[in-house]
Amino acid sequence: MESIEFDKQIYKLDAIKKAITEFEKLANFSIIDSNEIIKVKINKIDPEVKDILKDEFANYVLGMQS
Amino acid sequence: MTKNKDFNFSIDKKQNQLKFTINTKIYPLTVIYQAAYLFLDKVYIFLAGDPEKKLEVNFKSKPDSNTDLNQLAGLFYNELLNQLLRYKVSETNAKIREYIVSQALYNAVPNEVDELLKEVEEEDWQEDPLGIAKTWEEQNQKQSKKKVKSKTSKNQGKTKKKK
Repeated sequence: MESIEFDKQIYKLDAIKKAITEFEKLANFSIIDSNEIIKVKINKIDPEVKDILKDEFANYVLGMQS
Repeated sequence: MTKNKDFNFSIDKKQNQLKFTINTKIYPLTVIYQAAYLFLDKVYIFLAGDPEKKLEVNFKSKPDSNTDLNQLAGLFYNELLNQLLRYKVSETNAKIREYIVSQALYNAVPNEVDELLKEVEEEDWQEDPLGIAKTWEEQNQKQSKKKVKSKTSKNQGKTKKKK
């Protein structure tokens, strides 16, 4: 299992949710929304993209900000 | 890990990572977003830290890419400056831009007065279904002619009966 912590002041929850809908075919995602951080847990990652999924996901979320 | 004191970044060659610390009082968050957006195809980017003070920008090179992180750092700082300039120009021109757009929209929407004038122009003013445009004489001449006609026809009828 992998996880990414997004700072709420930098990353919007909507952007993370949109990214999850785009990536949901490649893994299982779950969100834990706390006061300052949005934690995204990633399970059952497609073995073909296992090495890059986390970074690609973070890039996609950043792309949705601007 | 090598540090560059002039530009405030460090490179981890083993991990192929580049880390910037950017003062958000100089470069606002939107400027950093825009600059980072242009590098998404070259590296993996992750932002962290306090957006009101200092922001950490982490670059990680993509697999099978031969990106020179030192060069990339310079390019990123250049892009930050470029985006900052765009941001400042858009800020100073905001009112003029809004004015131009509002004027363009105002002219694009048909004016109510123009529409009314067009309606009046299209109307056939020569039609007079209620007879308002006719003069008193015109109206009364017809009536008096009718009366005269009816009187003469009555008189003719009377004379025929007498005969």
